[in-house]
Amino acid sequence: MVVGDIATGTELLVIGAGPGGYVAAIRAAQLGLDTTLVEKDAYGGVCLNRGCIPSKALITGADTAHAARTAEEMGVHADPAVDMAALSGWKDDVVDQLTGGVEKLCKANGVKLIEGTAEFDSKGSVRVAHDGDGQGSETIEYEHAIIATGSRPIEIPGFEYDGERILSSKGALNLTSVPDDLLVVGAGYIGMELSTTYAKLGSNVEVIEMLDSALPVYEDDVARVVRDRAEELGVGFNFGEGASEWTETADGVRLTTETDDGGESTYEADHILVAVGRQPVTDTLGLESIGLEPTEAGFLDTDEFGETDVENVYAVGDVAGEPMLAHKASAEGEVVAERIAGEPSAMDFQSIPGAVFTDPEIGTVGMTEAEAEDAGFEPVVGQMPMNASGRALTLNEPEGFARVVADDETGFVLGAQIVAPEASELIGEVGVAIEMGATLDDIASTVHTHPTLSEAVMEAAMNASGHAVHTLNR
Amino acid sequence: MVRRFELPDVGEGLTEAEIVSWLVAVGDPVTEDQPVAEVETDKAVVEVPSPVDGTVEELLADEGEMVPVGDVIITFATEADDGGAETSTESDDSGTEAESAVAAVSEAGDETGIEASGASDEETAAKGGRVFASPSARRLARELDVEIAAVEGSGPGGRVSEGDVRAHAEREADTAEPDAEPAVESATATVSDDDAASGEAVASPAPTGDIERAGREQTLAAPATRELADDEGVDLDDVPTDETRDGEAFVRPEQVREFAEAQQAAQAADAEAVQAGQEAGAVSTSVERVEERETREPYSGIRRTIGEQMETSKYTAPHVTHHDEVDVTELVETRSRLKQEAEERGQTLSYMPFVLKAVVAGLREYPVLNSQLDEERGEIVTKHYYNIGVAAATDAGLMVPVVEGVDRKGLLQLSEEMNELVDAARDRSIARESMQGGTFSVTNFGAIGGEYATPIINYPETAILGVGAIKEKPRVVDSEPQSGSEANGAAVSGEVVPRHVLTLSLSIDHRVIDGAEAAAFTNTVKEHLQNPELMLL
Repeated sequence: MVVGDIATGTELLVIGAGPGGYVAAIRAAQLGLDTTLVEKDAYGGVCLNRGCIPSKALITGADTAHAARTAEEMGVHADPAVDMAALSGWKDDVVDQLTGGVEKLCKANGVKLIEGTAEFDSKGSVRVAHDGDGQGSETIEYEHAIIATGSRPIEIPGFEYDGERILSSKGALNLTSVPDDLLVVGAGYIGMELSTTYAKLGSNVEVIEMLDSALPVYEDDVARVVRDRAEELGVGFNFGEGASEWTETADGVRLTTETDDGGESTYEADHILVAVGRQPVTDTLGLESIGLEPTEAGFLDTDEFGETDVENVYAVGDVAGEPMLAHKASAEGEVVAERIAGEPSAMDFQSIPGAVFTDPEIGTVGMTEAEAEDAGFEPVVGQMPMNASGRALTLNEPEGFARVVADDETGFVLGAQIVAPEASELIGEVGVAIEMGATLDDIASTVHTHPTLSEAVMEAAMNASGHAVHTLNR
Repeated sequence: MVRRFELPDVGEGLTEAEIVSWLVAVGDPVTEDQPVAEVETDKAVVEVPSPVDGTVEELLADEGEMVPVGDVIITFATEADDGGAETSTESDDSGTEAESAVAAVSEAGDETGIEASGASDEETAAKGGRVFASPSARRLARELDVEIAAVEGSGPGGRVSEGDVRAHAEREADTAEPDAEPAVESATATVSDDDAASGEAVASPAPTGDIERAGREQTLAAPATRELADDEGVDLDDVPTDETRDGEAFVRPEQVREFAEAQQAAQAADAEAVQAGQEAGAVSTSVERVEERETREPYSGIRRTIGEQMETSKYTAPHVTHHDEVDVTELVETRSRLKQEAEERGQTLSYMPFVLKAVVAGLREYPVLNSQLDEERGEIVTKHYYNIGVAAATDAGLMVPVVEGVDRKGLLQLSEEMNELVDAARDRSIARESMQGGTFSVTNFGAIGGEYATPIINYPETAILGVGAIKEKPRVVDSEPQSGSEANGAAVSGEVVPRHVLTLSLSIDHRVIDGAEAAAFTNTVKEHLQNPELMLL
């Protein structure tokens, strides 16, 4: 403790108020634990402030403009102008509403909120430095601590984010005008979402990707649908190239890329968005003072109850490992809070769904066919193309498909890959099925509303058992 | 290639077990299913069979060592051509060893019928490392401390429902609890006041199959009737009725009350039959009896160990049981006075220490009851020390912890030691040695209820004393009342007065002990219980 420190005690200290931390804090407070939540930046974390939520707001704006512009086939003629500053303002309002809600919920549940950066002093004690000189610091003694510090964008050396020319996802969400030309380094899900968004808003977008495909973590046929659509929207793809250096020009940037065999290319644009992945935040925590060491990749190892190698210190969310997804963080936060309160909870989730808000969207949950095989199942697969869906056609979005993977012997649903409009919503049904141990028959025998996109899931399940009506059974 | 064999879960969800002895040595050839080790869990000694044909390469645990379930205890060198392992034929690399260990464990699981736990990616228990069950069922399993991978699912494809989890938990509880058996099983350790004891036994609601149950799907009734049914613990669908409303059966409050009474009567009857202290167990088994006419469970593990022990005793030693009763009115008073003293010292004093003391007095006078028949050498061994076993009903089954040197200890010390031993037996932390070396046993079936029983001798001891419940009964007092009993109202010779009466059932091994000795011993015990001050001598 340093002079001027104020020491307080708490049963549970949560570090980081993102979707992992604030959910853990609220649940813990609901269960009667004296809970303190430390946040250095903004309630709601990356997700609410500069990730999931603002990006979805921009995507909605871009989709609306794009839909109006491309509805001539339906007899609708329009040439919408996009006021980027206004769109951004609306987006900020949405964010404010949600983050304000988080703060209110925390307070209403009796969570004590402290602004500052937390650093472990010793086992059982954390020092919180308040922002700004002379704001002082305080020491908090805890019985249990949850680390929920999340992640930050990875920086490529030489491409430090400046919010002007070199943008992280955060910068790309805060542009006040639509750039004429945008370079996107990285064709992962963030790169693809923002490329599609700005293409729809009217930018010329070029994507630079070191690997040889977009969305490489997804199966080829899934990623292919999104890439084809992005190309239709005017996004250019440059695979096998890595960003090596950039220079500022009179009105923008010039980027030089290199290929493996030494070839060079140059691109010019208003901004470079670098979206090459995220890394966990553990370096600000003073973990060495409690003897906790992150893995090589920077994550904190945890057991099935979220506890790290140090007793009574837990980790949830991005900092606790892949997948770095908000809903995974929240689910873990709930379990850890419940465990600390003595409930019989455990992280026994059978699957964590994932979604990419491209055009069309991707929704996945559970295992792919190959993963099921690796796990020792004999997978059976059923698929329904969206161009056979009445609803997809009437939405004028017939690209993509819904696929369901199941165990042949028992019929248990193991996974789904959906690339379709609203795939992020459609995947929820399969998530429930997997979690419940439902079979193909269970899905196929559930009457689905007509005409909806969700029928595609039912059809895919029927197709897997060889009983599809609206597609040819394979 | 090398097969590494992990210690399987040889009991009911046990976490560790003791390697009692190795039945093979390094270099020995073994065949599949050949016992390689004797492993002792809390109570049972189980033989662990080899999963493969091969040669013993290494023994990784010492005899007498406690080994956590899932630890590798032995490795075998095997021919590569056995079907179980599809991994490489290299004989050393750890990368392949892990997989072959899994194969070995799952094979053992298949062939011996015991659950192999620990290997999550093992295919027999959970394909693809997954158990198909809803989140609520999985949570329930955690609540009930059930290993969900061990639950047999009744749903499509073997999906595990909440009902399956519950049924599994109940089966586990049942196999761990003694069923209604001869008196020795039914003992608990502390003699409590008779009322409290019998009250406890009846208190647990145990619906039985003996009364008529309608078992309808749906029943109409007024809200007040439903409330009454709830209060009485009656399932409305079971209440017989002839009345109908709108084509559905209709039940009136009187019918609920009548049914509740019948149910209670049946329960009381059951409580006598179900002697063991199985509160939850009694409910579940009876409920199962209602649902299915029969259930079948494996006769194995601790249940079997108890059974075999009983069988040996009953078939080896010709039992004779001697019944008697003793007026313990004075003991009741003495104990209630001393109880307060004990409480001030932070102790609970039950009747059991008095019984133990009285038994020792009897044994001193009739040492033949403190004996053992050494059949091999043809000798009767009389013990001159007094280690008294105290039968205790535990979740795992009957256990008999031994209180050593009863003759050398005071009531409070006996009480404390006995309570500690019984607690240890109940939470299974008791050491094996604490259940060995007894010279005589006492079983207190009266704690559950009942007057007389025919206890089975804790072989190779030669006698066991069963203690019934203390009850107030009318008795003719035909001698001068004992000092102190005036408090109950001065009893005059030849009058019927209420007295506290304790019943005794002494079983003896008639090969060693004769009926006359049994009766004489019982008389001495009686004298001491009747006149507790004799214990001071």
